[in-house]
Amino acid sequence: MAAIVLAALALGFLTLDLGGGSLRSAHSGVRGALGSLYRGTDAVLGPTRHFIQGIPSAGTSHSRISVLRHENAVLRGKIAATDADRAAHAQVARLQLAATSGGYRIVPARVIALGPGGGFDWTVTLDVGTGSGIRVDQTVTDGAGLVGRVLHADASSCVVLLGADPGSGVGVRDLRTGQVGVATGRGSAGFTFVPLDPKAVIRVGDRLVTGPTGSTSFAAGLSVGTVTAVRTSADGTTTATVRAAVSPTSLDLVGVILVGGQPLPPRPALAPAAQANR
Amino acid sequence: MSAQRGSAALAAMITALLLQGTLIGPLATAVPLSLPAVLVAAAALVEGPTTGMAFGFSLGLVADLGSSHPAGILALAWLSLGLVCGLAGDRRTVLGDVVIAAVCCALATLFAGLLLAVVHAGGATAWVAARGALPAGLGDAVLALAVIPLVRGFLRTETLRARRGLVPGIDLGTPRG
Repeated sequence: MAAIVLAALALGFLTLDLGGGSLRSAHSGVRGALGSLYRGTDAVLGPTRHFIQGIPSAGTSHSRISVLRHENAVLRGKIAATDADRAAHAQVARLQLAATSGGYRIVPARVIALGPGGGFDWTVTLDVGTGSGIRVDQTVTDGAGLVGRVLHADASSCVVLLGADPGSGVGVRDLRTGQVGVATGRGSAGFTFVPLDPKAVIRVGDRLVTGPTGSTSFAAGLSVGTVTAVRTSADGTTTATVRAAVSPTSLDLVGVILVGGQPLPPRPALAPAAQANR
Repeated sequence: MSAQRGSAALAAMITALLLQGTLIGPLATAVPLSLPAVLVAAAALVEGPTTGMAFGFSLGLVADLGSSHPAGILALAWLSLGLVCGLAGDRRTVLGDVVIAAVCCALATLFAGLLLAVVHAGGATAWVAARGALPAGLGDAVLALAVIPLVRGFLRTETLRARRGLVPGIDLGTPRG
C-alpha cells in the first residue's frame, strides 16, 4: 500500500513538472540550497578531488618531467605555485585574452559540482551567482570554446547547461563556407551539425563557431568544434559529426560572459585590456 | 521513527548528494555512478522494504528537485530500488548484499534512463539508458563494498537501531539486520 501511495506521489510530481511551471520555485529553492552546500563542500573536498584526478597521468613521462621540473623550480625558489595554480593562471590568461579579443566582460568561475542526478544531467554548478552579475541564459566559455549557458542562478552559485547536453541545440556558423546551421549535443561524443541549407558543402576539418549574433542565445564567435565526418543521406541532406572544442568532462576554471548592462559585480570581472588600461 | 533516526537519515541524504556532486560525479564522468542510489540500496538491505521505499523516495525527490530533469523520475526509480532491495536482501553476507545492491542499482539506472527517454528529458534515449546500465552496476558494486558495511554498522548502533513497533497498527515493517 505504502509503495502505491509513494509511486502515485512520484507520478504526481512528474505530471506537475511536465505540465508547466508548478514546481519551478521548488526546483529553484533546492538548487539554491544545494549550490550553497556544494560551494562549502568543494572548499574541503576540492583538493582531494584534484589529487585523485591527477593520479592517472602521474605515471607518464611527461607528467614525471613536469613534476621534476616543478620540484627543481621549488628548490631554486623561482616557482611557488602548485600545478593546479599554474593551470588556473593559464586559464585566467585565456579568459583575459577572450575578454580582450571579443570585447566581452567575463567573470571567472570554478566548477564546484556536477548535476546531482547521478550522471543523468549534463549540467555543472559554478561558484558564482547573481551577486557577481550572473543571469540566466548568459554564455559560459573556457576562453576560446563554448561550454554552455546559465540555466539557473542564485546569490552565490549558478547551474550551467552544457552545450554537449543531448537536448541542447546551438546555432553555429561554418567558418570556411559561412553556412549556418544547428549543432545538437551528443554528450561526450561531441555534436551533430545540420546546416540550414541541405545542399551546403561541408568538409572534414571545417571549424564551427557560435553565431551569427541575433540568431542564437549564445555569444557569437566561440569555437564549438571541428567537423570529423560528413554524411549525405539519400534525400541529399547533409549531416556532420563534430568533435567538441571543449571537453565537457574535464571542466575546471571557466568564464561567464556578462551581457546586457548587468550591475557591477563584487567579484572583479575581466574587462578587455584596452578598458583595463584606462 | 525516532528523532535520532530521522536526523541520521537527513544527514545521510545531504552527505550522499554533496559527495555525489563534488567528488563521485566529477571523478566518474564516464560511468553514471550513484552514491545516493547505493545508499538507498544499503539502507533497504538492512532495514527492509518500508524504510527503503521511504528513504529512496525522499532522497530521489531532493535529487530530482536539484536537477534539470522533471521531478519524480529519481523518486520513482529509487523508491522501486528501496522496495526491491528490501525484499531481496539476504542479510547474511556483505558480499551477497553487494551483488544484490549492484544489480538493483543497475536496474534502477536503466529504469530512470527509460523514464527520462519517455518524457524526452535531456535528449535521453532508450539506447543510452541500456548502454549505461552495466557499467553503472559494476561501478555501484565497488561503491557498495564500502557503503554497505558502513550503513550496517551505523544502523546497528544502539541509538539508530529500529525498535519494534510500540503501536502494532503503525508498525509498517520488520527491522532487519
